[in-house]
Amino acid sequence: MLAELPASRWNPAAATHLLNRAGFGGTADEVSELARKPAREAVRSLVAKGTAVNPQKPPSWAHPDPDRAARLKAFREASPQERERLQREQRQTQRARMVELEGWWLDRMVRGADPLREKLTLFWHGHFATSAVKVRDAYLMWRQNDLFRRHGLGPWRTLLREVTLDPAMLIWLDQAQSRPPKPNENYARELMELFVLGEGRFSERDVTELARSLTGWTLDRLRQEPIYRPRLHDPGVKSVLGAEGRLGLDDILDVLTSRPDSDQWITGKLWTFFAGTAPGAELQQSLARCFKEQGRTIGPFLETLLISEAFHAPEVVGQRIKSPTELLVMACRQLGRPLPAPAVCANSLRLLGQDLFHPPNVKGWEGGVAWINANTLLNRHNLALLLVTGENPLPTTPRKGTPSAPRTRRGRPAATAPVDLAELLPKTDRTSAERILEILNNRFLDARISAKSRKVLGDYLSAQADLDSQELLGLLRLTLCLPEYQLC
Amino acid sequence: MHTRRSFLKSTAWGGALSSTVPAFLAATFDHLHAENSDRDVAPATGKDSPVLVVIQLAGGNDGLNTVVPLGNDHYHKARPKLGLEPKTIRKIRDDVGFHPALRGFEELHDEGRLAIVQSVGYPNPNRSHFRSTDIWMTATDSDRFSNVGWIGRYFDNACAGGPATVGVAVGRQSPLAFAAKHPRGIALENPESFRFTDLDGGADNQAKGSGSFYRQMNSSFDDAPLGDPANAGGSVAMLGGTHSQTSGGSPLDFLERTALDAQVSSDQIREIANRFRNASPYPASKLANDLRLVARLIAGGLGTRVYYLSQGGYDTHTNQTGAHQRLLGVLGDAMVAFVKDLKALGQSDRVLVMTFSEFGRRVAENGNAGTDHGAAAPLFLAGTRVRAGWHGKPPILDPTSLHNGDLRHSTDFRSVYASILEQWLRTDPRPILGTTFPTLPLVA
Repeated sequence: MLAELPASRWNPAAATHLLNRAGFGGTADEVSELARKPAREAVRSLVAKGTAVNPQKPPSWAHPDPDRAARLKAFREASPQERERLQREQRQTQRARMVELEGWWLDRMVRGADPLREKLTLFWHGHFATSAVKVRDAYLMWRQNDLFRRHGLGPWRTLLREVTLDPAMLIWLDQAQSRPPKPNENYARELMELFVLGEGRFSERDVTELARSLTGWTLDRLRQEPIYRPRLHDPGVKSVLGAEGRLGLDDILDVLTSRPDSDQWITGKLWTFFAGTAPGAELQQSLARCFKEQGRTIGPFLETLLISEAFHAPEVVGQRIKSPTELLVMACRQLGRPLPAPAVCANSLRLLGQDLFHPPNVKGWEGGVAWINANTLLNRHNLALLLVTGENPLPTTPRKGTPSAPRTRRGRPAATAPVDLAELLPKTDRTSAERILEILNNRFLDARISAKSRKVLGDYLSAQADLDSQELLGLLRLTLCLPEYQLC
Repeated sequence: MHTRRSFLKSTAWGGALSSTVPAFLAATFDHLHAENSDRDVAPATGKDSPVLVVIQLAGGNDGLNTVVPLGNDHYHKARPKLGLEPKTIRKIRDDVGFHPALRGFEELHDEGRLAIVQSVGYPNPNRSHFRSTDIWMTATDSDRFSNVGWIGRYFDNACAGGPATVGVAVGRQSPLAFAAKHPRGIALENPESFRFTDLDGGADNQAKGSGSFYRQMNSSFDDAPLGDPANAGGSVAMLGGTHSQTSGGSPLDFLERTALDAQVSSDQIREIANRFRNASPYPASKLANDLRLVARLIAGGLGTRVYYLSQGGYDTHTNQTGAHQRLLGVLGDAMVAFVKDLKALGQSDRVLVMTFSEFGRRVAENGNAGTDHGAAAPLFLAGTRVRAGWHGKPPILDPTSLHNGDLRHSTDFRSVYASILEQWLRTDPRPILGTTFPTLPLVA
């Protein structure tokens, strides 16, 4: 079993780490409140928030389209030009909704009552990476996002079944169109390679046999629901990973999830996401064993992970590079500012390399140091300017057809309001450079500022004739550009 | 007096060091130059050195519908829906032609600027996008794993001490192919925004503005040992390769190094991008836009040896016809525009373009008018100095010759790399590829 964090090491610093990783960071009050609870209770309070009410209702269009039949009929009967116009309209509607959906999700991360669930939803979105570029239906993308929220903490097998039959996934990896006698291999391959087992743990024959087993499951395009059509199922005998018989979806899920490879794969992925480093061989074994013993249910496993001594080790704490989404959400929370408009957020995240609902491929985002290169780092530094001053230095290159960010008269895209300095750095706190740096260090850098960074900020402060709002905004911006700010 | 150091500084990348580079950076470069002169190896980073432009066709390009066999019964039998009509094909020889959308390739071919290497692949092919991309990017055997890219090894071996811009990946991500022991290479999307914007929205050089302190902040790396094997920059583009998170160096070191690279290259690139214009038009596509930027940077004399671009969307499991038509049209048109522009800019003799894709596709179509993951496929080289025409052996489509329904390769992709390294980048391929691969005469 995994060794638990000794009670003697459970303190506000550990609570800060927990809130950073299991959510999107905490305020000083949230940290001290959590640290007052016993560690086990503290972790449980984060994992079991499920019943708390979120302030955000789903988007108004987040339901099956009631006019779909009429719409499809009108489309079939339209002239070619008319058809083109309808298609264009549909594309524009869907793209605008995708921007709205992205803003809606980010808002849940910033203000929602259940940050761990949103963080885990972000993990599942990267794990079962599905892109709106191919799905082209905002309702289906929302539905998948909500699936992760509803089933993300539950039994692994149930989650896999839901994902396999999720309409967006059925479209994304072509299962919707898979038919005997030549079934489409796309979903079968990625199910084993990326979702459950890992590359090299199955044969090419397993891919084709698994694809045969899943035939029959397809998409009811009118009702936007998965459907099983018996006449499209290949009823023959198949052989997948050593199991033989007239296999169907449920047999396949049993075969896959009972393999030790599967326990290792998914727990290793979860560990890497939350801890920020890949687990060593021994730790990997322990994680897989815990998962199996806990009935292969995600929630209890996460509890064990978050309270483990290994998760609170020095090589883990403060050593994980924030993903673009985490950077944006955490910065808004720390700055005490609202999110910029959805179109601005969508544009920023795309430039930083994490275009939500549009992952680069089915493997999702690589994460870690792959987030950082000269281009994305400069964009991070310029996002800092946007969040602090409200001015948008990022180029707006919206995806074709999406609403672009509003612009000021000078032609620069206007982003949003500046931070509220009176709230963030009250005048009574601006007594000395030392005091100001202390506040920033605690609030933004979890008290981990390096000597060099402290000197840069100190030099900046002493070069200013006075400390008015412009100078303080400059200081905040520099703080958000520090290398240590990219970590948490 | 011209010392060797000052000479190198003024020629190798002198033009790129703008006056805004702070003293500590100049010192850093001096240090680098000293290192190089000690080794007595001039890095190949001059303005006249050859440039390689790599275009990745991410997703697995269907080679058989790119270079199409003519009068081949096996082809039409395997592809009742997807088989291309002989009369639509851009016939090059009696037995072979290009996909109808490849007017660009036909033009390049007719002008003697296109080489086609047939049946390129590797032993024990892997049908995973991700694994096969890694294999192509690291140039390893299919059962071996590496976290260093083949271009990264070229940087390590032949461009030691060169600037960060020795490799430029156009886009938001840097590919695994660039990952090196001594990380080099930057990702660049838009030169206008490739900079730190100060509070007033202007340049970053006022004494009191946060810009100058930003520079100070990024100077924190200057006394750390250069060439410290920190984390390499490999990552995901469309298929950027699997990045190893376990290579040495702390995340903080890595962030500091990247910030320094970003700042120095941002000065160079904006200066060049502002001074140079393209000389001929490009079609409207992302790939064409990316190539347009590359042409400007080449003309501007950026000391870059390898540019890296990606065109995604080749994973055509369903309804392949329209998608593939569009992709190849974009590819051919963009490449021909690029070669024309380079010619007009007087740069064409020092640029070679190479395409690759992680695999070709299955010979037989699937039940959805698409194709599943396959193996060997053709690869293309373009430029005024390629040895134009056909290289390697044509694929054999006879079902008895296939391996699990896939084409067998006859040219190892590392033979293509070795030929380019030796004949184009003029370096010994052995230390880069680990062993000797037979070369093909690809450069005239």
